[in-house]
Amino acid sequence: MIALQNVTKTYGIGAQQHRVLDNISFSFPYRKSVGILGANGAGKSTLIRIIGGAEKPDSGRVVRTSRLSWPMGFAGGFQRTMTGRENARFVARIYGADFRNVESKAIEFSELGRYFDRPLGSYSAGMRARFAMAVSYALDFDYYLIDEALETGDARLREKFRQIFKERRQTSSVILVSHNEQTIRRNCDVAAVLTGGKLRYFEDIDDAFLLYRKVLLRSNAA
Amino acid sequence: MNTSVSRQSPPDSALIIQCRVVHALVMRDVKSRYGGRRLGFLWALIEPLMMIGVFIGIFHLMGRSTQGGIPAPLFFVAAFTPFFMFRDIFSNVMMCIKGSNPLLMFPQVARTDIILSSVIVDILVSLAVFFLLLLGCVILGFEFTIDRPLEILFSLALLIGLGVGLGLVLGALTIRYEFVSSVSQAFLGRPLFLTSGLFFTADVIPAQARDYLLLNPVLQGIEAVRSAMFTQFESRYVDYTYVFLFAVVMIAFGLMLMNFFERQRH
Repeated sequence: MIALQNVTKTYGIGAQQHRVLDNISFSFPYRKSVGILGANGAGKSTLIRIIGGAEKPDSGRVVRTSRLSWPMGFAGGFQRTMTGRENARFVARIYGADFRNVESKAIEFSELGRYFDRPLGSYSAGMRARFAMAVSYALDFDYYLIDEALETGDARLREKFRQIFKERRQTSSVILVSHNEQTIRRNCDVAAVLTGGKLRYFEDIDDAFLLYRKVLLRSNAA
Repeated sequence: MNTSVSRQSPPDSALIIQCRVVHALVMRDVKSRYGGRRLGFLWALIEPLMMIGVFIGIFHLMGRSTQGGIPAPLFFVAAFTPFFMFRDIFSNVMMCIKGSNPLLMFPQVARTDIILSSVIVDILVSLAVFFLLLLGCVILGFEFTIDRPLEILFSLALLIGLGVGLGLVLGALTIRYEFVSSVSQAFLGRPLFLTSGLFFTADVIPAQARDYLLLNPVLQGIEAVRSAMFTQFESRYVDYTYVFLFAVVMIAFGLMLMNFFERQRH
């Protein structure tokens, strides 16, 4: 289970305080892809960072009893002086996975060949993205956390990514943050809108977009 | 809301996850510190060796002898190695807290895990260096017997506690007040090096200054290590309760500060 319990996050001090997340409680549905919509500055990235544990909420807690990925597309947590293999082994260890299995899957999927035993610092940006993706593929997460703003890489990479998710959507859950309607419609089963510090959940994506458009109009008018 | 059952076996307890994470971080830390370079671990020996060599040379040239009838190499090894351990722990803990750490992107990695693993690596490396240098002394003919191993460990633990405590407090303050980092480097490093009894014992400090210098818990820690190691030396100036409380209060206060300032971090 991945769930938020009374999560509150405030930025700023004094009069300029801005409550980005206001007492949110939400349990992410299992084996469903949830799209999270929100206008710019609504706190989507904050939400992802809090779900993923990169940031702590002011109050409340996040329950993570399922295998949750790091925010996909973000390769910053890998050590550049260490080889691909060593990095893969580290990640396998923290997830309690069998590292030989993870290594062999990652080699195959990343198509890095002998570069797998070179330091990450010697990789191109594309190779690093491929590496990060291959490791995440090899780890077989229950929940994939995706911040669309972070999604990088070339077209081929994105296509490959899309393929994985088509396949993995049968067995895994996805938490995807985006302000792109296309992305959400293509990848998600259900959706939630982050607005005014609250998360409103909709079984029907169309209902979510109805509210999202209203929110956008209001924020444009203001 | 959703109540479907996970396909996974029952989730691991928080403690097991933390052990796993700390284990992985320790392995990673060792590899990234010593794995990439050709001489690797030898570097950890070079700094204390050089320092000790320099001080033996100085004492020799000045015709001075070390106090308490302890042979010079042992006298310095017993002080510099624990002191460097304290200093490394202190500065590494501080560094772990200071910046945003990319490792935090992994959901199960908490900042406390990163701090804990860095402390573990520092302890392991320092103990190995300590052991090797003492072995070197014995090989060179400076023999000694260890009568009170537990006291040695306890004294080292006090220094570890001081390093962790100081690192936590200053690191936490750095989150909010960036200048603390540079100020503490400029005003703590050198003075601590000079006043912590690395090349003297508390006995030889003029009586008027001694009471003030003994407020420095690191000086007392070093005195404690020497007292525990050498039968011919027994310091009269170690107040174990003071050092212990100093470390515990610093650690508690540091954790509290860190928790407090963590929320303000962007």
